Amino acid sequence: MSDRTVTLEPIASIAKAPLQEQYVSGHRTCAGCGPALAYRLIAKAAGKNTIFIGPTGCMYVANTSYMCVPWTVPWMHAQITNGGSIASGIEAAYQVMMRKGKYDGDFPNIIVMAGDGGTADIGLQAISGAMYRNHDILVISYDNESYANTGIQASSMTPYGSATSFTPPGITVPEGEKFWPKDITAMIYYGHPMVKYVAQASIAYPIDLMNKVRKALNKKGSAFIHVQTACPKGWRFDSSKTVDVAKLAIQTGMWVNYEIDEGKKTLDHVPTKREPVEKYLKTQGRFNHLRPEDVQKIQQFVDGKVAEA
Amino acid sequence: MMKGKKKFIAGTAAVAEAAMLANVDVISAYPIRPYTGLMVDLSKKVADGKLDAEFVHADSEHSQLGIVHGASASGARTMTGSAGVGVTYAFETYSPISGGRCPVQMVVADRTLDPPGDFGSEHSDVLCARDQGWIMGWAETPQEAFDNTLIYYRLGEDQRVSLPQFNCQDGYFVSHIPGEVVVPEKSQVAEFLPPYKLAKPLDPRKPYGHGPQIFSDQGPALQLQRAIVMNRAKEIIPEVVSDFNKVFGRKYDSYIENYNPNDADVCLFVNGAHSQTARYAIANLKAQGVNVALCRIRFVRPWATEEIAEVLSQYKAVGVVETNNSFGVAGQAGVFTPEVAATLYSLPENKRPMLMSFMAGLSGEVIRLNDFYFMAKKLVQAADRKKIEKPVYWIGFEEN
Repeated sequence: MSDRTVTLEPIASIAKAPLQEQYVSGHRTCAGCGPALAYRLIAKAAGKNTIFIGPTGCMYVANTSYMCVPWTVPWMHAQITNGGSIASGIEAAYQVMMRKGKYDGDFPNIIVMAGDGGTADIGLQAISGAMYRNHDILVISYDNESYANTGIQASSMTPYGSATSFTPPGITVPEGEKFWPKDITAMIYYGHPMVKYVAQASIAYPIDLMNKVRKALNKKGSAFIHVQTACPKGWRFDSSKTVDVAKLAIQTGMWVNYEIDEGKKTLDHVPTKREPVEKYLKTQGRFNHLRPEDVQKIQQFVDGKVAEA
Repeated sequence: MMKGKKKFIAGTAAVAEAAMLANVDVISAYPIRPYTGLMVDLSKKVADGKLDAEFVHADSEHSQLGIVHGASASGARTMTGSAGVGVTYAFETYSPISGGRCPVQMVVADRTLDPPGDFGSEHSDVLCARDQGWIMGWAETPQEAFDNTLIYYRLGEDQRVSLPQFNCQDGYFVSHIPGEVVVPEKSQVAEFLPPYKLAKPLDPRKPYGHGPQIFSDQGPALQLQRAIVMNRAKEIIPEVVSDFNKVFGRKYDSYIENYNPNDADVCLFVNGAHSQTARYAIANLKAQGVNVALCRIRFVRPWATEEIAEVLSQYKAVGVVETNNSFGVAGQAGVFTPEVAATLYSLPENKRPMLMSFMAGLSGEVIRLNDFYFMAKKLVQAADRKKIEKPVYWIGFEEN
C-alpha cells in the first residue's frame, strides 16, 4: 500500500485551524445548512491533496447546480448507490498508477461524503464492500436524518417519531416514523474487521470534527466518520439555530460523540448532567405531534443507548 | 504479419491474454456464468505477478462498474465484465460512465435473462444497454474476442471519442469453446495501442469537478456531445481496424462481414457466433445451387447505417436472425428488426429488400444447419414470389 509522505497534525484550537478553505462560496445550500458547515470543516482539515466523492444527495444537488462546483480540490459525482465503489476504484487506481510510475504526486486523501441514505440505505452495499476490502479511503456520513434533497422522506437513520413526507403522523400512525434508526457506526466498525478507526462527530464541536477527520486520514486503510448535521428545512427549526440544536442533541444524549481507535473507545463531550430529550424534541417542528407516551419511549431508548455507550 | 504464439483457448481466456498485453491497471470482478473464467484467469495472472494490476473483487456488478468508473476517471486503464442479470443489475451505472466519458471496457459473455435461470447464450442482456452511449459489438471466435479487446481500447480511449465499450461474445459458444488464438508480441501491441491518457483525470494538482448537476437548459448540449462522439467513433473505426490489420496481419472488415455476397438474391443478417453455422449452411446450399449471402455486423454501436444499407441493397429479401427478445417491439421480433428496417428506409424503393425476422438462438438454443436451411427457404420463396407471407418465424415452432 502506498505511503503518504504527509501526516496531518492535530489542530489545537480554532485559531490554529488552517485559514485556507477548500470548500468555498458558490453553492446553493439552505441558510443554516448543517451539512454545508460540516463540509467546510472537513475540507479545511483534509487540505489540498484531497479528492472528494459525492454520491447524490443534498451535497451534490445544492453544491453543484448549474455545472459549477464549490471545491478547490477534485470532486467526482457518484450515484447515491455507489460512493463506496467509486472511491474504491479511485484508490485502486492511485495504488497501481504510483506503483507503475504513472503518477508522481503524493497519495491523495480520498473522501466520500455520503448522506444518511447514501450510507445506510441504498449506498450501504458499496460502502460495506469498500470497508471489507480496506481501501485507503475515508467515508463520511453527513447525517441530516432524512432524504432532505427530495423533500424530507424518512431514511433508515431518521429518528423514531419524526414527521417526514413518507412518515406523516395521522390517526392510524400517530407517531409518524415507527422505526428506530440503524446504528451505522457500530455496523461499520463491528462488521468490518479491517476497519481500525470509526468516529461520531457533530458540527457543534468543529475542532473535534476536524481532528477526527485528520486522525482518520492518517490511518492506512478504510475509516468511517458519522457526523450529525442538523437540517433547518427537514427538522423544522429557525436557520439561526443550527449549532444550538446540534449542541442540544449532545446535551440530551440524542447524539453521542465518540471514536473507536484500534479497539479503544473514547466518549467525547459527555454532558455532566444530561438534559431530558423533551428539551431537544421541542426545538423542532418534526416532533410537534408527539404524545407524552412517544416522548417517554424516546427517553427510554436514549437512556438505554447512553448506558451502553 | 501474423506473428506471435498460437494458443488453443476459449473466448474469455483470449480476452484475459489481451488484457495482459494491454497492461490494464484496475480490474473489478464479480462471478456469474458464463463470463467468470475471464476473472479467474486475470486473478491468477495478478497473483502470479504476470500482470501488475489491482484486482478488486467487488460485492456486486453494480459495484464492479463503480470501481472501474472511479479508476478510469483517475487515469487507469480498466477492465470489468459480466453476463445476464449481472449486466442488468449494473444498469444504473452505464449512462454515468459514458456521460463522464470514461473509456471503461466491460466484457460480456452473454446470457439469457431470468426467468428461469438459464445459463445459455442470448443477446438480450447487454442489448438492453444499447442506448447508454457505449460502443458495443460481438466477437465470433476467441481470436476475434482477443482482437476486439485491443481494438475497443484503442477506439474507446481515442480522445476524439472517449467512450466505454461493451466487448461482447456469445456465452458458451465463444466463451467456453476453445479455438486457435494467435497471441501477438508485446511490441506489436505497443505499436497499435498507445498508453491510456485521460484529458482531465481526478488529480489534486489540477482540480476539476466531475459530473456536477445541471439544469435543463444545459442538458441538451451534453447529450449532443455524446451523440457526436459516438458518430465520430463510427468514422474512426476504419482507421483503427485498418491499423490493426496492418500491425497484426489480419483481414477484418470495419463494420460488416459480407459472406458469399455475389449471385445471391437473399441475405441472412446475423450478429455474433451463430454466423459460423450460417456460413456452413450457406456453403452447403451453394453446393446444391441455392445462393444465400450473410451479413454479420461487427458493431451494434455505433450502428453503421449507410454501410449496412449499401450491403443489404444488393438483395431482394433479408432475414434478420434476432438472437434476442424485445417483447412488444415494432415488427414483433427482436431489437435488430426495427434497426434494420430503419436502415433500409433510406434506400429507394427499387433497392429496398423485403424484410423478415427469425426468432432463433434464444435461451442458449443452438441454431442448427436445418434451421438456417429453413430460413433460406423462406427467404428464397419470398424473393421468388415477391411477397412476404409471414414476417416473423419462431424457429422450432414452425411447420415446414
